[in-house]
Amino acid sequence: MWFDLDGLPVCFPYDAIYPEQHEYMGELKRALDARGHALLEMPTGTGKTAALISLITSYALANPSRPLRLFYCTRTVHEMEKTLAELRLLFSHLPPADACRLLALGLSSRKNLCVHPQVSASGAVDTGCRRLTASWVCEKAAYDRESATPLCDYFETFDAAARKGDLALYIQPGVYTLADLRSLGRERRICPYFLARHMVKHANVVVYSYQYLLDPRVASIVSSEMQKDCVVVFDEVHNIDNVCIEALSVSIRKQTIQGAKGNLRHISQQIDRFKATDASRLNAEYRRLVDGLAQRGNLPISDAWLANLALPDDILKEAVPGNIRKAEHFLTVLWRLVRNLDERVDTENVVNERPVSFATSIYSLAGIETTTLRFLYDRLQSLLLTLEITDTDEFMHIQKICDFATLIGTYKRGFSIIIEPYDDRMPDIRDPVIQLSCHDASLAIQPVFNRFQTVVITSGTLSPIDLYPRLLNFNPVISRSFTMSLTRDCICPMVLTRGSDQLPVSTKFDMRSDPGVVRNYGRLLLEMASAVPDGIVCFFVSYSYMDGIVSSWNDMGILQEIMQHKLVFIETPDVVETTLALDNYRKACDCGRGAVFFSVARGKVVEGIDFNRHYGRLVIMFGVPFQYTLSKILRARLEYLRETSQIQEGDFLTFDALRQAAQCVGRVIRSKADYGMMIFADKSRHDKRSKLPGWIRSHLHDAHLNLSTDMALHTAREFLRRMAQPYDKAGSSGQTEENLQDKARDAMEM
Amino acid sequence: MYGVGGGGGGFNASSTASGRRRNQEEDEEDDEEETGDGRVLEAWERAYADDRSWEALQEDESGLLRPIDTKNLVHSQYRRRLLLRSAAAAVRIQKGLIRYLYIVIDLSRAASEMDYRPSRMAVVAKCAEAFIREFFDQNPLSHVGLVTIKDGISHRLTDIGGSPESQIKALMGKLECSGDSSLQNALELIHGYLNQIPSYGHKEVLILYSALNTCDPGDVMETVEKCKKSKIRCSVIGLAAEIFICKHLCEETGGSYTVALDESHFKELLLEHAPPPPAIAEYAAANLIKMGFPQRGAEDLISICSCHKKIKSGAEGYICPRCKVNVCELPTECRTCGLTLVSSPHLARSYHHLFPVAPFDEVTFKLGQKGGQNCYGCQQSLINSDSQSNLHVRCPKCNQHFCFDCDIYIHESLHNCPGCESQRSFSS
Repeated sequence: MWFDLDGLPVCFPYDAIYPEQHEYMGELKRALDARGHALLEMPTGTGKTAALISLITSYALANPSRPLRLFYCTRTVHEMEKTLAELRLLFSHLPPADACRLLALGLSSRKNLCVHPQVSASGAVDTGCRRLTASWVCEKAAYDRESATPLCDYFETFDAAARKGDLALYIQPGVYTLADLRSLGRERRICPYFLARHMVKHANVVVYSYQYLLDPRVASIVSSEMQKDCVVVFDEVHNIDNVCIEALSVSIRKQTIQGAKGNLRHISQQIDRFKATDASRLNAEYRRLVDGLAQRGNLPISDAWLANLALPDDILKEAVPGNIRKAEHFLTVLWRLVRNLDERVDTENVVNERPVSFATSIYSLAGIETTTLRFLYDRLQSLLLTLEITDTDEFMHIQKICDFATLIGTYKRGFSIIIEPYDDRMPDIRDPVIQLSCHDASLAIQPVFNRFQTVVITSGTLSPIDLYPRLLNFNPVISRSFTMSLTRDCICPMVLTRGSDQLPVSTKFDMRSDPGVVRNYGRLLLEMASAVPDGIVCFFVSYSYMDGIVSSWNDMGILQEIMQHKLVFIETPDVVETTLALDNYRKACDCGRGAVFFSVARGKVVEGIDFNRHYGRLVIMFGVPFQYTLSKILRARLEYLRETSQIQEGDFLTFDALRQAAQCVGRVIRSKADYGMMIFADKSRHDKRSKLPGWIRSHLHDAHLNLSTDMALHTAREFLRRMAQPYDKAGSSGQTEENLQDKARDAMEM
Repeated sequence: MYGVGGGGGGFNASSTASGRRRNQEEDEEDDEEETGDGRVLEAWERAYADDRSWEALQEDESGLLRPIDTKNLVHSQYRRRLLLRSAAAAVRIQKGLIRYLYIVIDLSRAASEMDYRPSRMAVVAKCAEAFIREFFDQNPLSHVGLVTIKDGISHRLTDIGGSPESQIKALMGKLECSGDSSLQNALELIHGYLNQIPSYGHKEVLILYSALNTCDPGDVMETVEKCKKSKIRCSVIGLAAEIFICKHLCEETGGSYTVALDESHFKELLLEHAPPPPAIAEYAAANLIKMGFPQRGAEDLISICSCHKKIKSGAEGYICPRCKVNVCELPTECRTCGLTLVSSPHLARSYHHLFPVAPFDEVTFKLGQKGGQNCYGCQQSLINSDSQSNLHVRCPKCNQHFCFDCDIYIHESLHNCPGCESQRSFSS
C-alpha cells in the first residue's frame, strides 16, 4: 500500500501497518531529514525491518538528490536472509520503473558463498580459496602455462570480466540472497564471493554482518567503498558496546607465544629460501617501503587481506620506520618482542598496566620503540604477501601478537593490560594470560559515526536508552523507545520471589548453595513442566551455577520427576553438542513429548536462536545474570567508565544484567500471533523493574510482581487457557491505507 | 441441586432458565431458593467450594467489582456460534449424516488433576455422557465407540455401536487414571478399527485430552499422515493448554482443536461436535445406501435376539426385513445379514441439519413501536424493567419478535419457527 507520511509518499509492502511502525517511520524520517544518527528501540515481532527498509527506500526514491545507499548490518546469516526476503517483497511492490534500477545483495564470508566444488566441501574454505586465487598464483599460471597450476575457474571468469569492466552484465538489478548468489555463480560460472564484493560499490542495498563495519581487521574490505551519504543500519545490536570492545581486545596465552615462535621459525626459513631463489622479490618490497609508500594501493586489490586498524589518519601517512623495513630486521624485532612477552607472561602476581607504561617497558627491555610497535601488524601482512603465504590460519598466532603490539602502540587511553597467572575461579590451575582489554566502546565505532551521516541503531532491547549514547560517545538526533500494540495480552511476565514454602529465592552469592533455594527452584521448574505444554527454556546465570544446580536436582530426585513430564536438554560450551541438543529439543517439542532446555544467560544460545511458538511457551530466568564482578577486566572497565563517562558501577552492572535478561526472555516471542510467559525468579528483581524494556514493563502487572510458586502456577494455567482460545487475526491492530488517509485528513482539519 | 462439579455451570443454567433478570441480587436469591428447595439458604450455609461465586465477578474500568452479565454473555456466545454455523449453511454444504465416531478419553496421570472439580476425569466423564446422548439425538444414523488411554496404552472400551446406554455404562465403570498418555497408540488403534467401516460413513475421532504431552513408541507424525490418508477427521478438546502436536493433527486431518477454559466451556465445546460436520469432498458424490426399515415384532412371538442372545418377546424388538432376525434396538446393523436397520423418524430427525431455521436478526426495542411488545413464543413482555438489555430478536421471514430464551429454544431444539409455521397454516 501507499500512504503519505508528512509529505513523503511511502511504499509499504503489506496491506496493513501497525501504529508503532507508522511512528517508527516518522522518527526515522526526521533523522534522515536532519542527517543525524538515530537510536530506536522497538520490540521484535513488530516488523521493524519492513518499516526500516520501506521508509529508507521510499525516502531515496522521493529525493533523487540522495540516491539509495543503504548498508544494513545484521547479527546472523539467518537474519540477513530474512532482511533480504523483506527487501524482495518491498521491491515487488515498487513501481517497476524504480524497482528495475535497484540492486540489493547480501555479503558474507567465503565460507557461505563459495561454489567451487572441492574448496567449498573442504573445511578451510578461506585458505583453499587463497591457494587458488592469490595474485601470485594467477601470475604464475599465466606465466607458465604448462605447469598446470590449479586455479579456480569461477575466479578466473570474474577476473576476466573485471579486467574488461563488464561485471554488470553478470548481475541484473534485483534482490540477491546468499543462495541466489550461489546459484547465479554456478549458472554463470563466476565466483559469487568476489562478484558480491565487487558489486558492493554499485549496489543500492547491502546486507551483511556488522563485523564488516566494526572489526577493523575486516572492515577495510568494504568500508572503503562507502560514501558519506550512505545510511547505515545496525539491527539487533543491543550489545553493540561489547562487540566494539571485543573487536579491539586481544588476549595472549602461553600457547599463542609458543605458536608465534613456531611461525617465526617458519618465516625465517621462507626468507632464506626466497633469498636463495628469488631475492628480487624481497628487494622490491624493501624498496617500496623505503620509498615511503606504505603498501596500501600498491598491491593488487584482489588480495584484500591488508587491513588497516582504526588508525588515526596521521599514522597512516607516516612511513614505515627504518628498522623493520628489511625482512631480516623485522624478524629480529619480532623475536625480541615475542621473547619479551614470554618473560612477562611468567608472572606470579596479577599485573594491571596502562598501554603507555607497557610500551615503555617493552622499549627498555626489548628495545622496540612505540612507533615501531604501531607498524608491526601492517608490516607482517606485507611480509606474508611477499612470501606468498596463503595459509593465513597457520600464522594466526604471530598475527595476534602483532595485532596486540599495534594496538598498544596506537592507543594511549581506553585500554589496560592485565596479566594474570591463573583464573580466579580456578586458582589451582596455572594458566597465565596477557589480556589487552579495551574499555571504550566508542573507539571502534567512532569511525563509523564520523564517516556516515546517518547511522541507525535499533534493537528489541535498548533500555535504558539514554545509556547508549554515553557508552558509544555519540549524539543521536532521535532516540526513542516504542511499545507494541497487541490485540491480546500475549506476553505474561511474572516476578517470582518466593518458593511454595514462602522462603525467598535468589542466586545471590550467599544464598546460591542453600539447599532450600535449590529445592525451591527445582519445584518451580517441576510444577511448570507439568502445567506448560511443549517447550520450556531455562536460563541460568553461569555454566558453573548450572552444573551445580542440575547435579543437586539430580541428587534430590527432582530431575527424574521433571523427566516424567518433559525431556531435558542442556547447553554446553561445545557448539556441536549444543546444536545437537537444540535439534533434539525441537524434535521433542514437535512430537508432543515436551522438552526443557537448560541454557546460560551469556551463552551461545541466547544470541540468535529463537524459541518462538511451541518451542518456547515459557522461559524461566533463574537469578539475575550479573557479570562475574571479581573479574579484573570488568573491574578495570568499570573504573574507566566511572572516570570518563560518569557511569556508576552499580548502574552499569544492573543495566548489563537486565539487558541480558531481557534478551533471554525476548527469545520466546517473535511475532504478534505468538504467545509466551516469562518468569524472573529472584527476590531482588522487583525493584529493578523500571530498567526493563518498555514492552515487557507494560505487561508486567502489579499483581504479578511478588509471586510464590503456587500463585505463579495458577497464573500460568489461566494464561495458557486464555491464549489457547481462537483469536481473530483479521481484527489485529493494523491500520489500512484508508484509516491512515482518514487520520491524515482529520489532522489537516484540526 | 448442584452436582458435584456444580460451579459456574449450574449458575449459568439456572439464570438462563429463570427468564428475564431484573437485577443481580434478586437473581441470586432465586438461585438460592432453587438450591434449597424453597428454603432460603443463609450465606454461611452455601457451599463456597462448589459455588465459587467470586468467579462471577469482574473488575470494571474504575476498579469496582461487578457481577458478570452471564445472560448476555451466554447469549452473545450462542449467537456467534449460530451465525458461524448459518454462514456455513448458506453455501449449502453437504453434511456427513452417517458418522462413525470414536471418542478417546485420556485417563493418564494428568486426568487426576484437580483444577476442574472434583477432577478432570470426573468432569470429562460427566460431559461425555451428556455428549453421547446429545449426539444420538442429533445423529440418529450414527455410531459411537469409546477408547481410553492409560499407562501409555490405549484400550477399546466399547465396540462401535448405536446405543447410548451401553456406551455410558461402559464408560462409568472404568474411571481410574494412571501413567502416561500416548496419542500415537490411540490413533493407531482407532485407525485399525475405522478402516473396516463402509465407505459412505464419515470416520471421526474426538479426543478429550487432559495431558500436556504424549509418550509415543514411534514417530507420531507418521500416524498423523496415516490418519490423513484414510480420511479420518480428528478433533481434540484440550483441558489445559494448547499443544502443538494436537494442533498439527487437527489441521492435517481437517478437525477442530479447542481448549476449554472451565467446565461449562468444556461442555459447550464438546456439544459443538454433536451437529454433523461438513462432508469431505471425496464423499460428496451421491451414494446409495441400502437400508432396512424393520417392523416391531408381534406380541406373541418369542425369539432369541441377535444382540444379547436372550429370549425376548417380539414386542421388545424389531424384525429385520431381510433375514427376519430379532434385534433389540434401532438404529443398528443386522448381525446376520449386515443390513443397516433404521426407523423412519431417525431419517426425519437428521433432516433439520440440511435445512436449519434461519438465524434471527438482533433488534433493539424502540419505544412507541407497534406490535412485538411480547415474545411471540412465550408471550412474556419484551420490555425490560431495568431497561438494561432490551435487545431481542426477530425472525427475518415472518417478522415476529422473540426473546433470547425462545431464540435458543427454537434453534437448538425445535428447529421450526413458530411464526413461520402458523403463517403457513393461515395461508393454506
